[in-house]
Amino acid sequence: MAEESILTDEFLRQLIDVGEADVLVGVPTYNNAATVGHVVQTIRAGLLKYFPRERAVIVNADGGSRDETANLVRGASINDLQHSTDLNALRTLHSISAEYAGGPATGTALRTILASAELLRVSACAVVSPESTTIGPEWIERLLRPVYQGNFDFVTPLYRRHKFDGLLMRNLVYPMTRAFYGRRVREPYASEFSFSGSLASHFLAQDIWVHEVGHTGTEIALTMSAITGGFRLAQSFLGVKPHLDARSADLVAAMRQTVGALFWSLEPNFSLWSSIRDSQPVPTVGGEQEVTLEPLRVNRKRLFDMFRSGVAELEPVLKSILSPPTLAELQRIATLAEEDDFCYGDELWARTVYEFAASYHKAVISRDHIIQALAPLYRGRAFTFLVENREASGEQVEQNVENFCLTCERLKASLLELWNGKK
Amino acid sequence: MPQDQLWYKDAIIYQVHVRTFYDTNADGIGDFGGLAQKLDYLQELGVNAIWLMPFFPSPLRDDGYDIAEYTSVHASYGNLDDFKTFLKAAHERGIRVIVELVLNHTSDQHPWFQESRKSRDNPKRGWYVWSDTDTRYQGVRIIFVDTELSNWAWDPVSKEYYWHRFFSHQPDLNYDNPAVREEMWNVVKFWVELGVDGFRLDAVPYLVEREGTSCENLPETHAVLKELRAKLDQHYPGKMLLAEANQWPADLRAYFGDGDEFHMAFHFPLMPRMFMGLKLEDRKPITEILKQTPSIPPPCQWCLFLRNHDELTLEMVTDVERDYMYDQYARDKHMRINVGIRRRLAPLLDNDRRRIELMNGLLLSLPGTPIIYYGDEIGMGDNIYLGDRNGVRTPMQWDGGWNGGFSAADPESLYSPLMLNPVYGFQAVNVQSQKRFDHSLLSWMKRIIKVRKSTPVFGRGSIEFLYPANHRILAYVRQLDKESILVVNNLSSTAQAVELDLRQFKGKILIEMFGRNIFPRVGELPYLLTLGPYQFYWFRLRKI
Repeated sequence: MAEESILTDEFLRQLIDVGEADVLVGVPTYNNAATVGHVVQTIRAGLLKYFPRERAVIVNADGGSRDETANLVRGASINDLQHSTDLNALRTLHSISAEYAGGPATGTALRTILASAELLRVSACAVVSPESTTIGPEWIERLLRPVYQGNFDFVTPLYRRHKFDGLLMRNLVYPMTRAFYGRRVREPYASEFSFSGSLASHFLAQDIWVHEVGHTGTEIALTMSAITGGFRLAQSFLGVKPHLDARSADLVAAMRQTVGALFWSLEPNFSLWSSIRDSQPVPTVGGEQEVTLEPLRVNRKRLFDMFRSGVAELEPVLKSILSPPTLAELQRIATLAEEDDFCYGDELWARTVYEFAASYHKAVISRDHIIQALAPLYRGRAFTFLVENREASGEQVEQNVENFCLTCERLKASLLELWNGKK
Repeated sequence: MPQDQLWYKDAIIYQVHVRTFYDTNADGIGDFGGLAQKLDYLQELGVNAIWLMPFFPSPLRDDGYDIAEYTSVHASYGNLDDFKTFLKAAHERGIRVIVELVLNHTSDQHPWFQESRKSRDNPKRGWYVWSDTDTRYQGVRIIFVDTELSNWAWDPVSKEYYWHRFFSHQPDLNYDNPAVREEMWNVVKFWVELGVDGFRLDAVPYLVEREGTSCENLPETHAVLKELRAKLDQHYPGKMLLAEANQWPADLRAYFGDGDEFHMAFHFPLMPRMFMGLKLEDRKPITEILKQTPSIPPPCQWCLFLRNHDELTLEMVTDVERDYMYDQYARDKHMRINVGIRRRLAPLLDNDRRRIELMNGLLLSLPGTPIIYYGDEIGMGDNIYLGDRNGVRTPMQWDGGWNGGFSAADPESLYSPLMLNPVYGFQAVNVQSQKRFDHSLLSWMKRIIKVRKSTPVFGRGSIEFLYPANHRILAYVRQLDKESILVVNNLSSTAQAVELDLRQFKGKILIEMFGRNIFPRVGELPYLLTLGPYQFYWFRLRKI
């Protein structure tokens, strides 16, 4: 079995000691000592509060941290040797840590967690980011309960974000996932999610692990796998998602992990997505709660400049990817002198992405170059999004995102035509 | 009888009510004549002490814990001569006898209370706790929450309130009154002179009341008990006092004093946690409570039990634990009473022989003196539809014949209905049928008791827990002088592997105590054992 080859003997020994569990919370880490202590303590509090009777385990898959990450995770254990008097725990809570081979890679970490879930025969498994410092104990309940009660196989989060946070998600990943696969999964690339034991086995059996998406962008690949596998989906409101500046700094990496994985998934699932014409909502469990959001500053000017320079510098590359009308329109707006006149509208942006997807399929150039070339164009779209929504309320922003999603669904036929080579 | 003053440390106590055991005069109620007749059975079982529940004259509104006369025998069970005959026969078989001493309260039918309530200036007025208001001792908890609303009851005769911690028909005696203390000493003397070996003192935390306190575990109460113990030691050395104090270990510890109060005390908090650990398949509840258990003076001993005549009390657990226990062991509301579960051992464990054996294995190997509740050695069931806790007090099932061999009376006249259902009824579960088979529960109980008695380690030895990484395995080493016994229990319903760190015993071989088979010698490496579902091992560690 595949999982046998990815678990070290030491980790296997720890799993044997755990035996069988009802619920598992996985934490993929790599040098997260600054935040992981708080996160695992909160996970522990959540397990004790909401799953006091269940056999629970926290599994840390570590990419070779050189800091105190592993010790901080292990410190969340509750047993007859390590007991805090302020805890009211019925039973032992294992918190185990394993360093997987091959260096830090989210996919390998997730695969380790999936293998643990399968070997421990858990009913429900959640994955939590070690950087989610806004986590509360209720996150554990909101992630695990919908699965543990047996109603759902895959639960993605709903976060309360600032209207200018998650731009890539609002402008590309969510609308395109929705258009391709017909399910309105608001956070298809989530750092928190949960799944059933049977879905864990399904994930492990997929062939993504031998591809690039098995190393980076695995989260979205799992979402696709859950959707295409016909599993029961749900969304659960967690709360505030912390905004990570570091993430926005490396846009290309983020594009590879999300758009790259998304485009990659289109190949094996053509028969499915090609027949989907619209989208269906995903049930939401738990009501959205009022939360306060910190103001967020975005450098619009930089986005605009990078778009213009990208269109100019990448012209030969874009020529091989985009249709002449689309490229011409992009070049036209890139030459606008005034920012206020600039508009990278819904329709043009949707066509751009579809043409990139088709080019990715046909591998007109290196697929990685295709993904990289989309980055400056996305910046132009993001600039328009920020300008258009400058004065908009949160609800208005959501409505604008919805309108864009409908545009993507409406224009999906053009992708099929490109895909089949008619254009 | 052997003269060892620490005899209670090696005892295996059988708890029985005379009424329930065997009826010789066909009145439907067990009696001392019947108990004497069945002593051979108890001797064969291997027990060496009997704890008799109250057999004194009583209106029996609380199963005899409402005593109306302390120095006599309830007519239904015989008379004092019958008791003496029984006692002599028990001693002849090496079985000691422990009787109840209900210090805290009497029946409201006791002549003392009848006198006391006659008038406010009656000489016995001060023998009970009276008040013209029911607001004294505010905040003191009510123990029988299902039936009592207050710890005060109005007496319409003398027109004052009297204090009662239990049922309102059980007025508390006033231990601030020296005359009460003297009279209770006379009661003790009476039974010791007859030859009883010890007393189980009921409800000891509540003897004295003080304003602004919980009226439990007060220093004044301990002073009363110490006074009693001192007199007992002075005049009748070798007699044993066993405390019933349903308290947390830290509070219980005080009842041992400096070895000058009780010889033994029930370990109440451990019992529910044994059931909890079994259901959770996790040793944590058991090791945790034993780690919280303070050490006790060398002559003292804990008393362990799985089930008794009362409910499986859940007072000494947290709210989370209590809810869990109710959900796991008492889903049917009929199974619940007060703050506990009124069920016998076998039904609690779904009549699962493996779990029954494991729990008895724990009972007999953890530090303390074990108590076996009558009928549990054959796996008797309960009747949760009988009132109060009567469902666990049904007649002993001797055979599959008339009234289960308990009585020749008309079935309708028995003190309690017999168990009749196809699983636990007397035709399915009885002594006679189990005696015929080597693999019956009764035969197994005889074997394990015999093994337990083969060494003093279990009764007198120390305990050291091993903490293997597999939390479903409860392992410990019992040690006395140079003798060591390793106990390994699988609390799980599935097979388990465990690695034990036995380096301190390097070079020793393991001898399994039931079959006496030899297991491999202990080396430097972790000692690997595999155990089937709910399996346990007792190993003697031998240097050969």
